[in-house]
Amino acid sequence: MESTRQQIYDFVAGIARQKGISDIGAGEGLTENGIIDSLAIFRLVSFLEDTFGVRIADDEIVNENFASVDTVDRLVTTKLERRPAAR
Amino acid sequence: MAYLLHQLLTRSAESYPEKAAVSAGGRVLTYRELDEQSNQLAHLLRARGVNKGDRVGIFFPKAAESLVAMLGISKAGGVYIPMDTQQPAQRAAYLIENCAMKGVLTTGPLLQALETALKAPLGFAMVSWQSLAEFPATAVPDCGQTTHDLAYILYTSGSTGRPKGVMISHQNALTFVYWCAGIFKICPEDRLSNHAPLHFDLSVLDVYNALEAGATVCMVPPEIAAFPSSLANWIDAQQITVWYSVPSALILLLLHAEGKFAALTRIRILLFAGEVFPMKYLRQLAGLLPDVELYNLYGPTETNVCTYYQVDRALLPAQERLPIGRACANTEVFAVTDRNTIAQVGETGELYVRGPGVTCGYWGDVEKTRKMLVPNVFQPHFEEKAYRTGDLVKLLEDGSYDFLGRIDSMIKSRGYRIELGEIEAAMLSHPAVREASAIPLPDQEIGARIHAVVALHDGIDLTAAALLQHCSSHIPKYMLPEFIEFREALPKTSTGKIDRVKLASESLAARA
Repeated sequence: MESTRQQIYDFVAGIARQKGISDIGAGEGLTENGIIDSLAIFRLVSFLEDTFGVRIADDEIVNENFASVDTVDRLVTTKLERRPAAR
Repeated sequence: MAYLLHQLLTRSAESYPEKAAVSAGGRVLTYRELDEQSNQLAHLLRARGVNKGDRVGIFFPKAAESLVAMLGISKAGGVYIPMDTQQPAQRAAYLIENCAMKGVLTTGPLLQALETALKAPLGFAMVSWQSLAEFPATAVPDCGQTTHDLAYILYTSGSTGRPKGVMISHQNALTFVYWCAGIFKICPEDRLSNHAPLHFDLSVLDVYNALEAGATVCMVPPEIAAFPSSLANWIDAQQITVWYSVPSALILLLLHAEGKFAALTRIRILLFAGEVFPMKYLRQLAGLLPDVELYNLYGPTETNVCTYYQVDRALLPAQERLPIGRACANTEVFAVTDRNTIAQVGETGELYVRGPGVTCGYWGDVEKTRKMLVPNVFQPHFEEKAYRTGDLVKLLEDGSYDFLGRIDSMIKSRGYRIELGEIEAAMLSHPAVREASAIPLPDQEIGARIHAVVALHDGIDLTAAALLQHCSSHIPKYMLPEFIEFREALPKTSTGKIDRVKLASESLAARA
């Protein structure tokens, strides 16, 4: 099975491709280069919630958590580790 | 009164030299600093050969320097073009070539991408602000600018094909700024948000009404614009008193930061424009901010804003749609019926706009200019132009107008005249629906088939059948969409509006 990180990367890369950006780095700023805007962010949040069965609160939808693929991965992984029984 | 836009700055710099003019990304420029730095830039630009009427692009991410650029170009006598830094380099290159820009103020990486897309070399490109310090901070010599000279060009995407450059003169912009100053009573203590990109005309109010009043314009940091909760915190921390944005930005705040509205006690005026505000969200907003004046501003880029409507909380519960209101000062609007008469109360027609706020036309496109700026046949005594908005409106009893939709979104299906906006309003009135768009697909047999694209609120399920059932209690059967597609979100243009062109082409492709 693909890693959490890879699945997040693939989804974000898909958003980027729709915007004509062909290459993104895992540590790259997603808001600075316009990949994540006010609409894409909620597509990404829905994807994370549906794919990984986590709940992301409005207060957690902030730049610190969504600055890069790495930070998103950390957010999701932390949530998954906190509730091992659920999976 | 100022007759050139940058005079708004020089006057406020005399009255309030040490007050903050702009706050962006943790940096604040006082009126004195902004005035001096824009003078230095004007000297630099003159040294690069910029003179009266020369076009200069502003192609770097929004920052305090964006204001230095706008005002410096204007002081040098030039015409500035704010350019979206997230547009493809090809499109940026097209703008440069279309209006023959003399040069651009940009960054190293953006310039690199641009140069590969440009057919001819740029006149000049400034990528560093270091050299500014070498130039005097005093005013440049007057080059004979008048209020009829162009101040800026805003490129808007045409519904088909190439972007078109809307030419705005100093007088066009100042007509709008002075109307705002009077009606919203912007004062030196005000702090205005700047949410819209600078290539979007909403930003004209944010920037120039702040400068006119000696107030402060606070630019929303790009890294928080996408995050409603952070944005609400920012509005609170920045002590914003006047907020202006597209409705969709406010709707995101309502959906994801509702609990923070109670803290936004400094806001006194909330303005929105650019698209129709769905009534259910507007009612929610009006309830959350009970003491704030809410205004619906209407007007295509070609007219700045030409009508306005102040939300009346007493009428709000029963209103099915929000009027666009009546004409701004120094502006006349009228609706022309399909019999070529001026619409009377209760009649519908295309909205025309006349006055000093109306654009001089489209850069380099005489034909398009002639099509949109037409002789005003209702005033035969001397030559005068009126702008055709392409918007269908209805004149109400109190003299204000209702916006019914685009004339070109008025379609015929099975012989019925159908306004797509009405279908969208019916879908949006369902509590589960977050966004909705009705797309006409050409059909040889019945004229058009209606396809709807809908995004629901998170965690709510709704079937197409249930949504149709709901719609059938609001609109006639012949207006019901034949097919409803559910998506997580609807595509948006760079200015935050629903991208109908993209939706239509995707719907067509899916059907082929």
